[in-house]
Amino acid sequence: MFNRWVIVFLVLGTSATWFVQAEDGVTRDAAQIVGEVCVGCHGVDGNAMVLGAPKLGGQKADYLAKSLMDYKTGVRNNAVMSAFSSALSGEEMEALGKYFESQNSTLSVPK
Amino acid sequence: MAFSALFVASSTFAAGDPAAGAQLNAQCQGCHGIDGFKTAFPTVYSVPKIGGQSYDYLVVALKAYRDGDRTNETMHAIASNLSDQDIDDLAAYYSGDQKD
Repeated sequence: MFNRWVIVFLVLGTSATWFVQAEDGVTRDAAQIVGEVCVGCHGVDGNAMVLGAPKLGGQKADYLAKSLMDYKTGVRNNAVMSAFSSALSGEEMEALGKYFESQNSTLSVPK
Repeated sequence: MAFSALFVASSTFAAGDPAAGAQLNAQCQGCHGIDGFKTAFPTVYSVPKIGGQSYDYLVVALKAYRDGDRTNETMHAIASNLSDQDIDDLAAYYSGDQKD
């Protein structure tokens, strides 16, 4: 089994250029952001099985956007998510929420 | 060395019993069991789907709410009454993925 922190370090290490690009004020496409950043832990469809990482595929878009903003503003504390969300605009967060909500889902509203 | 220490620390050893979790879920279902349910305070947003969610993530989330590391007042109030075993049981119930 792969240590999730090894994955985290790999993702952070290879994302240095992404952080620089995020400062240019250009709103990026959600699929582009997912492919460059989120995919490392959550998978391209948000359903990756990485220890401790929540499934995002099919999750409520507004909940996901709020979570990203909470990480950026420090309401939620997670070193990795705080780092990634700090480079996102509110518009990009909403786009990411809609992207993951539209993916195939293994999540359900429990009965 | 550092990596192996982290690996041990990040592994989940506790077992959850989904049947026991099913006895604890009444306080969850009022919000999470209604499709499209939204919070009312302090901000309005959809409560997340938790059926089928990752076992490990559910444990982390509930403990963070209980211990005050996540600051949603409703979830903090509910999780405050949960033991570690209760949390493992609820995670097993909602993830549908009992761990051993």
